[in-house]
Amino acid sequence: MGFMPFVFPFAELEVGQHLYWQLGNLRLHGQVFLTSWIVIGALLALVVVGTRKMERDPRGVQNLLEFLWDYIRDLARTQIGEKAYRDWMPFIGTLFLFIFVSNWGGALVPWRLIHLPSGELGAPTADINTTVALALLVSLSYFYAGLSRKGLRYFEYYVHPTPIMLPFKIVEDFTKPLSLSFRLFGNILADELVVAVLVFLVPLVLPVPVMFLGLFTSAIQALIFATLAAYYIGEAVEEHH
Amino acid sequence: MNSLFLFAADGFGLNLDLFETNVLNLAVVIFGLYKFLPNFLGGMLQRRREAILVDLNEAEERLSQASTALAEAKKGLEQAAKKADQIRSDCKARAEAIRLESEKRTVEEMARIKQGAASDLNAEASRVSNQLRLEAARLAIEKALAVMPAKLDKKAQAKLVSQSIKTMGEA
Repeated sequence: MGFMPFVFPFAELEVGQHLYWQLGNLRLHGQVFLTSWIVIGALLALVVVGTRKMERDPRGVQNLLEFLWDYIRDLARTQIGEKAYRDWMPFIGTLFLFIFVSNWGGALVPWRLIHLPSGELGAPTADINTTVALALLVSLSYFYAGLSRKGLRYFEYYVHPTPIMLPFKIVEDFTKPLSLSFRLFGNILADELVVAVLVFLVPLVLPVPVMFLGLFTSAIQALIFATLAAYYIGEAVEEHH
Repeated sequence: MNSLFLFAADGFGLNLDLFETNVLNLAVVIFGLYKFLPNFLGGMLQRRREAILVDLNEAEERLSQASTALAEAKKGLEQAAKKADQIRSDCKARAEAIRLESEKRTVEEMARIKQGAASDLNAEASRVSNQLRLEAARLAIEKALAVMPAKLDKKAQAKLVSQSIKTMGEA
């Protein structure tokens, strides 16, 4: 089970092991699905609870949700611009909240209490498949945003200041999802690994500050992902001239 | 392996090993968040809520002020409309009076001018006929003066004088 050849007394590490589910020819990482569903369920429950009895005087969960809404609205508006941000706010908000709750859930919930036949539960965003899926959604979104708003004139963007930019802009279309997905995946996985290794070596006290740092970077990563997604969409819908 | 599986080791189950599951550190972190977050986030949310309530109150106040102002303005509008109506009817009456007055004056003036022109014409005609009469008299006298020295002698003169006396006596 452990990838270390020798046995430490306290804990063990598992890397690269997954709970595989077979679906036709696909081998799904089951633990990612499980935690994703839990995260989605938690978010839905929060939203349902917060919006069931809406009042003019915002209290409790409603106040929290409105605060989040304000935050996401500001984020989307600054990146996408006054004209188009309304269309994309739900998408940006979903990205932000899903990634944020995934990261924090992975860092705060004692997933290891639940023992799986193989692999272990953790943040869904620590799996490259999740982050690649999210990043590809962002790519699709900004293409759709540009094409639906400007039609074929969207491709003016590729030669915008000068036609020399064409190859770079084409390469950018590939590097954007790549960097988005790898940044998120790398940060969250590294975070989990650092904590796991520290726990493996020094079981008490020392991991705590690193875990707090992990919470901080997790939040920042969620913000970065959402901001960049909004920025790409904003770039696609922006009118030149 | 010192891992402690309560349930089947190969299936789903609970792992209650304190160190392996990192529960102790997690408890510390969660406790820290529990201490820290309510102050931070709760303070932020409270401020937000208060700001919203203040905004709502202000908006309500402004609404009531605006509705009273609206009522006042409506009253003013009504009064102004009444006054405007009054002024309009006054104006109509005055305009009618002025029109009648000026019509009357015009008619009178026209009559006066017509009369004046007629009298002027009469005066001129009498002046001209007077002048003509004078002229005719002058010409007759001139002619008479020219003719008379040749025709007049004592006998004719005496006859003329007696005839004149006779005419005067008849007149």
